[in-house]
Amino acid sequence: MGLRSRLAAWWHSRLPLTDTWMLGQRNIYIVPTRGGASFAGLLMLMLLASINYQLNLGYVLAFLLTGAAAVSMHITHGMLRGLTLRLKHGAPGPAGTPALLEVVISNPGRARYALAVRWRERGREGQSWVAVDVPAGGQATATLSIVPATRGWHTVPALVVETGFPFGFFRAWTVWRPATRVLAWPRPEHPVPALPVAQPVPGEQAALQRSAGNELEGVRPWRRGDSLRQVVWKKVARSGELVSRDTAAAGSRELWLDWAATPHGAVEPRLSRLAAWVDSAERAGIAWGLRLPGVELAAGQGDAHRRTALEQLAVWE
Amino acid sequence: MSDLPWLNRWRHLPRDARDTLFQLAVIAWTIAPHALHLAPWCVALAVVILLVRARLALNAAALPSRWTLLAVLLLAVGLTLANERTLLGKEAGVTMLVVLMALKTLELRARRDAMVVFLLGFFLVLTNFLYSQSPLVALAMIVSVWGLLTALALAHMPVGTPALGTAGRVAARAALLGAPIMLVLFLLFPRIAPLWGLPNDAGGRTGLSGSLTLGGVAELANDDSIALRVRFLDRAPPMEAMYFRGPVLSEFDGRDWTRRRRMDPVPQTELLGRPLSYQMLLEPSRLALLPMLELTPAIDAGPRGTDFEFALRPDQQWATDRPVDTPLQLSAQAWTRYRLGPTTPTLALRDDVDLPPGFNPRTMVWAAELRRRPDLRDAPPRALVDAVLAHIREGAYVYTLTPGLYDTADSIDEFWLDRQQGFCEHFATAFVVVMRALDIPARIVTGYQGADPQVVDGWHVVRQSNAHAWAEVWLAGQGWVRVDPTAAVAPERVQLGRGLLPPRGFVAGTLDSVNPALAASLRAFWERMDMRWSQWVLNYSRTRQFDLLRELGIEAPRWEDLAYALIGLLSALSLAGAGWAIWDRWRQDPWQRQQRLVAERLARLGVAVAPHHPPRARAALVRQVLGPAGETLARTLERLDHQRYGQPGRHRPDQRWWRQFSAEAAGAARAAQATPAGPASSR
Repeated sequence: MGLRSRLAAWWHSRLPLTDTWMLGQRNIYIVPTRGGASFAGLLMLMLLASINYQLNLGYVLAFLLTGAAAVSMHITHGMLRGLTLRLKHGAPGPAGTPALLEVVISNPGRARYALAVRWRERGREGQSWVAVDVPAGGQATATLSIVPATRGWHTVPALVVETGFPFGFFRAWTVWRPATRVLAWPRPEHPVPALPVAQPVPGEQAALQRSAGNELEGVRPWRRGDSLRQVVWKKVARSGELVSRDTAAAGSRELWLDWAATPHGAVEPRLSRLAAWVDSAERAGIAWGLRLPGVELAAGQGDAHRRTALEQLAVWE
Repeated sequence: MSDLPWLNRWRHLPRDARDTLFQLAVIAWTIAPHALHLAPWCVALAVVILLVRARLALNAAALPSRWTLLAVLLLAVGLTLANERTLLGKEAGVTMLVVLMALKTLELRARRDAMVVFLLGFFLVLTNFLYSQSPLVALAMIVSVWGLLTALALAHMPVGTPALGTAGRVAARAALLGAPIMLVLFLLFPRIAPLWGLPNDAGGRTGLSGSLTLGGVAELANDDSIALRVRFLDRAPPMEAMYFRGPVLSEFDGRDWTRRRRMDPVPQTELLGRPLSYQMLLEPSRLALLPMLELTPAIDAGPRGTDFEFALRPDQQWATDRPVDTPLQLSAQAWTRYRLGPTTPTLALRDDVDLPPGFNPRTMVWAAELRRRPDLRDAPPRALVDAVLAHIREGAYVYTLTPGLYDTADSIDEFWLDRQQGFCEHFATAFVVVMRALDIPARIVTGYQGADPQVVDGWHVVRQSNAHAWAEVWLAGQGWVRVDPTAAVAPERVQLGRGLLPPRGFVAGTLDSVNPALAASLRAFWERMDMRWSQWVLNYSRTRQFDLLRELGIEAPRWEDLAYALIGLLSALSLAGAGWAIWDRWRQDPWQRQQRLVAERLARLGVAVAPHHPPRARAALVRQVLGPAGETLARTLERLDHQRYGQPGRHRPDQRWWRQFSAEAAGAARAAQATPAGPASSR
């Protein structure tokens, strides 16, 4: 790590962590770009030519461009001034796959152009650079992604919003450290391991036998917690009401995803196996529960249930 | 809606193609004025390259390889070297710049390439001013600059397909808001002399020098600094008799006119009539000569004297022993009527019909044909002089300060027979060459002619812009006689001593015959515009800058004062900017400000709310903390919630709401104080 980047890291660590970032004089930086420096060189050359050839129109041209460049500095700064940035929570996802984050840019003033939203540190995986225009008095959303390497809570890295509009002679930017954190589930094991054997729920033997043939499955109104896979879409299209497949069989068996049932060894592979099981069990459409040392999640079904389980897996220590 | 297929096609072009075509159009527009004077191969090459690039853009085809470009570039360098024999110098430089600009459009790969194209483009705009600074060129170049800035803004709008109009508006806004900066810099940036020796193809300036080259000056910028002041003690001569004699140029090598080194030592001057007594204040000219009134046989350096030594050369021109670098005050007597030189032919006069062989053959033929005209076959020299002057007067000759370059070897041919546009130097040199071709001894005299129409305290002001060139022909019995061919084409130049009118073009000529009144008023308008243009733009010089400072109240302006004024104004501008920035720094969104004030009021009542709580959440907290006593306050807060987030939402906070809230909060605070159990205890 060079001195320069260390200095930058120190400087940026002083910035507050916030979820809304209002851009004003205090947090917008602006410097000339390399293109701006070449343009300044060109202006000097023009001035020199005007002096040597005594061209008054040459002076006019050089000074006109000087004025336009000076004004462009204000325009560039004004592209960021007054904006408010907010970060929308992305849905949690497994480690190793991109997690989407939406940066919402609200603009109380006139239209802004060519705002580039990017992570401060380059070379990250995932979507690292988005350009947006923000209409006058409106909002725009830039979607970036990060790839969390491990499970658990991750801080969102520092973001940079920058612009060189209109002429690219100056670059204005701001550095924002969002306070939001992103949750990553354990990476599910691949290839998907076989599920452990489901245990019949005591006293429902008859139901188990009946479920050998699936023709007997009926439908019932959709209930909160039913996964989208359970919805009978053909019926929904016809009746307009949400109905779910009544998997009678599901009620009769219970599957326990148990820490103890995973092969002994390192912690992470075991959690990965559990995560893979959670997904398979949910796909199979049977009621399942989760047992971790110190944590027990009662048997259940549906997206909410799956999420709770995966979150437990993500933060379990 | 449009029925025009090309317009429809333009609308549906992919963005990249559209941007490239726009850029190419701007570049073509910028290069176009150069087509008038660049070598045809260069113009053709540029046109072909731009067309090829446009085709590639339309078909979204791949750009040619670097090796192709390099080959074309080498070819262009070779052609330039063959034509100009150098890569330096103005012509070669502009040629190369045009070729590079066109080639660079074939290499638009990275952002850096785009920047190079724009930088080249801006410099190309400047090169147009090397050839002409007329209002028309200025107007065309304003369009160019706007186009280039628009294309530059377009290149920095990566999202979607932005409208050309949007980018154009941003470019115009930047340029217009920058105009005051331009004005301040233009008015106050100190005009300094060229930093190093110029190649001689620079735009010339009026003034005297020891030699003259026809055609080397495309455009004469009027330098209106003062050359000398003259006061006549008893009577003033008419303006058309005010000729101040400078170097006499007799030697012609086909290109340059120079002074004769060795000269017939006998002046043989005869002065006629009464003399004019005058005083002269001569500004430092850095030339070793004194431009005295024709004809001044003796000079008195005044009571204080001077350490310069003056000598009258045989051609009646006053020379000094070294360049005049201090102001001089002189008294003298001049005879406006005189007989100069021998009255009978001498051998020395043969030198004054010398013409270098091989130059200007067509003018020679023209002169021979004039001689063969029946009425002139046996005419005396005087009649030939009049015939040539009549030819100038009645021909299509145009007096202009911007004739363009005459850069062929036979520049007199080109001027006299083809283009027929020029200023005094062109007329004088061509006239002398024609005279010599007719075997009449002739020479060029340079100096000043005329003065400002306004006489200041008896002093006539002669400026560098009064510099002039005329001819002298030798006639048997009369000696050297002054002939001013410029007076034949532009009498006002001589009679009023004023500068030139713009040429009448084809359109003006047609208009003249259709509607003379409208033509006259249009011409008057154009002349006024042109005068303002040259006064304020082309001739805006150090002198003018000092005049401006004097009007601003600086008694004796110096170079430094300009710099101070400029630095002062720019500092004031920067300070104003910094002040605005500080003010803006504390400025808040009005809703945010209200949020903060509401939070402060509620804190006084013991209700702690977070800055990000919306009014709805604050109302709930008020109910929770203050109980029924806070009900009105909570309702008011809910109303605010509706004002801000409801449909239709308000754009700015409502002041009436704030007054009501403020009053209610104060009431609640009083009520809380009246009850010994404060709001905190109600928890």
